[in-house]
Amino acid sequence: MIRVAIVGCGRQADQHAIEIQSIPGCQIVGFCDKEELMAKQIAERFDVKHYFVDINELLYVTSPQVVHVTTPPQSHLALGTLCLEAGANVLFEKPFTLNSSEAEQILQLAGEKNLKITVGHNVQFCHAAMKMRELIKKGYLGGPPIHLESIWCYNFADPGYTKALLGDSDHWVRSLPGKMLHNIVSHGISKIAEFLTGTSPHVIAYGYTSNFLKRIEEYDILDELRAIITDQNDTTAYFTFSTQINPAIHQLRIYGQKNSLVVDDLHQTVIRVPQNYKSYLNHFIPPLLEAKQFLSNSATNIGKFLRNDFYFEQGRRTLIELFYHSVLQQAPVPIPYGEILLTSKIMDSIFEQLRLQE
Amino acid sequence: MISNDFLISSNALILITGSNGFIGSRVVQALLDYGFSNLRCFVRPSSNLKTLNRIISDNSKKVRLIKGNLLCREDCEKAAKGVSLVFHLAAGIEKTFAGCFMDSVVTTRNLLDALLDNGLLKRFVNVSSLTVYSNTNTSTNRVLDETGEVERQPAARHEPYAYGKIKQDELLLEYNKKFGIPYVIVRPGDVYGPGKMKISGKVGIDTFGIFLHLGGPNPIPLTYIDNCAEAIALCGLRKGINGQVFNTIDDELPTSRGFLKMYKSHVRPFKSLYVPYPLFYCFCFLWEKYSGWSKGQLPPIFNRKRCVAHWKHTGYSNQKIKKMVGWHPRVPIDQALTRYFEYMRRTGDQQ
Repeated sequence: MIRVAIVGCGRQADQHAIEIQSIPGCQIVGFCDKEELMAKQIAERFDVKHYFVDINELLYVTSPQVVHVTTPPQSHLALGTLCLEAGANVLFEKPFTLNSSEAEQILQLAGEKNLKITVGHNVQFCHAAMKMRELIKKGYLGGPPIHLESIWCYNFADPGYTKALLGDSDHWVRSLPGKMLHNIVSHGISKIAEFLTGTSPHVIAYGYTSNFLKRIEEYDILDELRAIITDQNDTTAYFTFSTQINPAIHQLRIYGQKNSLVVDDLHQTVIRVPQNYKSYLNHFIPPLLEAKQFLSNSATNIGKFLRNDFYFEQGRRTLIELFYHSVLQQAPVPIPYGEILLTSKIMDSIFEQLRLQE
Repeated sequence: MISNDFLISSNALILITGSNGFIGSRVVQALLDYGFSNLRCFVRPSSNLKTLNRIISDNSKKVRLIKGNLLCREDCEKAAKGVSLVFHLAAGIEKTFAGCFMDSVVTTRNLLDALLDNGLLKRFVNVSSLTVYSNTNTSTNRVLDETGEVERQPAARHEPYAYGKIKQDELLLEYNKKFGIPYVIVRPGDVYGPGKMKISGKVGIDTFGIFLHLGGPNPIPLTYIDNCAEAIALCGLRKGINGQVFNTIDDELPTSRGFLKMYKSHVRPFKSLYVPYPLFYCFCFLWEKYSGWSKGQLPPIFNRKRCVAHWKHTGYSNQKIKKMVGWHPRVPIDQALTRYFEYMRRTGDQQ
């Protein structure tokens, strides 16, 4: 039985609690929030006996093996340090930290304590991403990627987040170094970071405020971002974040020496880009081959749904399972620390450039 | 219009939270119409104040806006200072339990705490909702009144809004018991009128791309915005009703079928599919079971508790509020529906 605690009982905590309770051999031993009512309500709904307002008390009374930190990133370093000092492994909700310096401090402390860390980049563990990784491992690309394109859209039509952020001039997201972008782009950036090497990527970033936000006089928030990222081996990547592109797209395109792939998170498809054919056949055969692949992806998705393996937060559940496995079996962590740090560094560089633009 | 039967004088300070909302702005209007001249309207800094500004533009000396966030205790203290009567309409309407709980319960707790040292408070009017009633363990065709059972397992209904409202009511009762906070709870039915863009969920839902008509022959517990606002205002003003709960529903309620027919004929025609209650109940049962069996592959948004609460054949009584508060819906149903349909036709409905 793995003993798990959750710190931070806001909007994200429910998703973590649902997934933890669905994994056999896990027990939520306590919730903690500085607002007692918030800790109490989630403890009642998930039938957990203990709830706390003081993290030290939570750690002392419940002795969790793993703590999920689902607070805003401003508190991650302090809370993560307390958890690690108390001997708990930690899963942080994204974004990991405020900057790469804080990320380094957490990772270093985890190393010193021989404990494990991960971050909630759950999209990296959805079915399509897992299939992509499997293909690449088998050498489908014909070597490391030449170029990557990650596009991540967020639709302001979703009132949950939009209303909370745009309706509150003191919302915690506004005080992040990268403001709204900081809270959202790590999913899309981490997809690129997975394939980059080295520790000092070169980043060129450009951001602006969309006309939508200008119309409602939200000049303080940048919601459109374009970035070019290069690593020490000249692997290049484009990153696009947009709130205005419709329909919203969450896609990664990976271009290799031999083959290329298109991974779509929203549709959960992995498409192998067909080879070119001679003459007019190039207009006839590749579309058919792509159509066949889309059909096959659809059938696979339906099959997974019928086998109860296609729930909304499947990526999060897989990430949590892999993290717990790494804790219990001393197996490698699901997200390499280098990738976490590189994601953080790319984000630092982007936000620094956007700040200078302002 | 100030009556001797009112709890406070015309210049007593009244706080209205959620005062820029659909109902809140009309409550402000109703209080001004009754002759009250010292209103404090609490709004969030980023609130859209278009409607409220229109209402208070001719009464700028009688109404003062105070900007803040009820999650901030200091803002609550500023809002609560010196008030005799509170109309608490601010509420969480998010899709998440945590969000609704935070915006309904934590905010209410902060406001109640701020009022504890206030020696002037005569009444705290908590605007709840008819959705808090479970409607379970009762026969069909019964009449729902204030004695109806409040949902005992609010989380199981998987409706964050109802959960937040139930917990908010519970908190108020706790503060009354512990600290003697004088209160009245108002539970409006489905509030409609110009400014409201959606058809009541008790008529049906459009979750699956086609409008499923679920209400059938059921009366729909409608309350027209102006009637509802006046009911809330009177529940705050009338003497001798502390500790009471009042449901607010108009007279001569249309059936779901009748409402839908009128809507289609007066606003726009659209396709709908009638699903009888027993069939939808079975669907909810199967969905609920599948959700559990599949470990949440589909969240249990359709479940028997929700089905019973919203779509079981139920009558509604407004006798208590009429008798004890002296409220009568001033805008008759025909006129109210005409105004609503006209508004929907003019602005374009969003179904």
